[in-house]
Amino acid sequence: MAPLLDIRDLSLVFDTFDGTYHAIDKVSLQLKPGEALGLVGETGCGKSVLTRAAFGLVPVPPARITSGSVRLDGRELLGLSDRALRGIRGSEVAMIFQDPMTYLNPVFRVGTQLVDAIRAQSGGRIGKAEAKSIALDMLDKVHLPNPDRQFRAYPHELSGGMRQRVLIAMALAAKPKLLIADEPTTALDVTIQAQILDLMAELVEDLGLAMIMISHDLGVVAQVCSRVAVMYAGKIVEDAPIGRIFDAPAHPYTQGLLAALPHPFKPVDRLASIPGTLPDLLHPPAGCRFAGRCAQAHAACAAPVPLRAVGPQHRVACTLYEDAAPEGAAHV
Amino acid sequence: MRKMIAKRLGLMVVMLLGLAVITFTVANVAPGDPARLAAGPDASADMVEEIRVERGFDRPLPIRFGIYLGQLVQGDLGTSVYTGRPVLQDVAQFLPATVELVLFSIFIAILLGVPLGVLAAVFQNRVPDHAIRLLSVSGVALPMFWLGLMLQWYLALDLGWFPLGGRLGIFDDVPPKITGMITFDALLAGDPATAGAALWHMILPAAALSFPALAAIIRVNRAEMLEVLGRDYVTNARAQGIGPFRIIAVYSLKNAILPTLAMIGLRFGWMLGGTVLVEGVFDFPGIGLYAAKAAISSDFEPIMAVTLILGAAFMLTNLVIDLAYAALDPRVRNQI
Ligand SMILES: Nc1ncnc2c1ncn2[C@@H]1O[C@H](COP(=O)(O)OP(=O)(O)O)[C@@H](O)[C@H]1O
Ligand code: SF4
Ligand SMILES: [Mg+2]
Repeated sequence: MAPLLDIRDLSLVFDTFDGTYHAIDKVSLQLKPGEALGLVGETGCGKSVLTRAAFGLVPVPPARITSGSVRLDGRELLGLSDRALRGIRGSEVAMIFQDPMTYLNPVFRVGTQLVDAIRAQSGGRIGKAEAKSIALDMLDKVHLPNPDRQFRAYPHELSGGMRQRVLIAMALAAKPKLLIADEPTTALDVTIQAQILDLMAELVEDLGLAMIMISHDLGVVAQVCSRVAVMYAGKIVEDAPIGRIFDAPAHPYTQGLLAALPHPFKPVDRLASIPGTLPDLLHPPAGCRFAGRCAQAHAACAAPVPLRAVGPQHRVACTLYEDAAPEGAAHV
Repeated sequence: MRKMIAKRLGLMVVMLLGLAVITFTVANVAPGDPARLAAGPDASADMVEEIRVERGFDRPLPIRFGIYLGQLVQGDLGTSVYTGRPVLQDVAQFLPATVELVLFSIFIAILLGVPLGVLAAVFQNRVPDHAIRLLSVSGVALPMFWLGLMLQWYLALDLGWFPLGGRLGIFDDVPPKITGMITFDALLAGDPATAGAALWHMILPAAALSFPALAAIIRVNRAEMLEVLGRDYVTNARAQGIGPFRIIAVYSLKNAILPTLAMIGLRFGWMLGGTVLVEGVFDFPGIGLYAAKAAISSDFEPIMAVTLILGAAFMLTNLVIDLAYAALDPRVRNQI
């Protein structure tokens, strides 16, 4: 099946006072329609920047996209005008974010923000009254009790879980094809987290959405995703079906990630317990970015390490698998 | 809300009382003999003594303060030695001019300052930002009266574009007094030409008076806009495909304007004080000029009255700002 989202060789740098910060380096990632992919990695590895840059949401400057291509349904997004990108955001690609406390505007009513978003998503084709009825309908769909009242409420009058439901309603009102969920449950407490994940799984199924779920919690990813991409220091180091990641992790980082967990369903943040330091992305190494922390590092790791297929739908970027065919040669 | 307003008004009375004590004390320990002053330069020593007893200047300070308060409560602000008229009458004549000038000035400062601050933030570190920043830095650096003198020198004296001073030209008709603010009175009387002339006379003093406030408003609003534009809810609005104009002018500005409001309130108070200088430069017959003359001639009761009026105006401004804050921010509204 043709990919819905096709990111190829995407590189992005931030021009900072200290120099050029290589935040995203030659990342390639494909997503099929209806597929749910988990994107995991330590805080700061570039998960948010990658997914936002693809849709023109990283401010330029300081950011600069230095190479690559992003295609949605075959249409190139990089280089599109701001206006064209605006037409795509909201209507074709929806996003929900980490902290529902801060992603709603505190001085406007929930309803005002919903109606504005719905009208913007439609490119202005939908009138106020129709947008309101869609909004109320969506509030009902995300199981928010008493939609009429929440519609008139201000964000601070809602709990965190309710706000995340509002944001989900907002994101999905236009029935997009792709949902980017950037740590949507990280800021919520555990019981609410489970409810929101259930809701998302339900809606993704109902609407036939493709989804990228960003998380540093493998447990969260395992609940809603069929495939996982592991990111380290601005690169994707492994990409495999969720079962393979748990049963046969190939990359030493993924292995360390799982080994460091007393229980696989614990946040990846504990990963800090892998010894060694992150590479300096102002002067990134030419070779494997994990070398500074890898017990198996050897001479060959100083040269660039491409992603290679090591099994069906399983790619890994590590010299330990050099005998495997490089990507492209293999049928993935 | 109503309770909050009542509480604030009550607090205002207490603060004004404090202000009265301080001003009264300072004015009375300052050198200068009020009896001598009241008696006039030609009075003999006997006459001065007579006036001292008659006006109560020989009695202890606390008692005199009590007497002063008693008068104040009855609406008697005393008499100006300098004009020889009741202070209340002077105030009624000069205050509206100043109110008009200050309102006009703050209006200019807000009308220019808020959009310029937004513009500077949106074009951060690009040409418009640099130009606007230059403007706001000079607003901080240039003393108000110096700016007033320069404006008067070049634009009025040299180029003749504006009048040198005063509220109206000698050939303009003074409208019947209703509010005392000529622009409004002229409009009420159906005389837009005179209203225009009054505005014309206010442009230079208002420019001098509003420039520092303009600079401050730009600075605060720029900083706030920069901060707000980086907030998560702006990212979310962008992710929904909402257009840049609505994001900047509605979603962001309504948040950024809140701290700017506090600055506007503060600056309004400073402007009231600034009228003492600017009205002097432009010979604008307002309460500032009146206060300056009273201070120079140690005219005690007008000084007291003007201080209390300016104090009350400052406090009222703050109350209005807080109410505006509550009107804009539902979180604040909930707390009061
Ligand atoms: N505006 C910016 N300017 C400079 N560096 C940035 C900016 N935004 C993000 N970064 C850097 O990019 C890296 C990736 O950030 P991010 O994608 O937010 O990480 P995460 O994986 O936790 O979502 C981080 O090291 C961060 O410091
Ligand atoms: S490429 Fe080398 S350094 Fe990098 S993970 Fe593999 S073995 Fe370790
Ligand atoms: Mg992130």
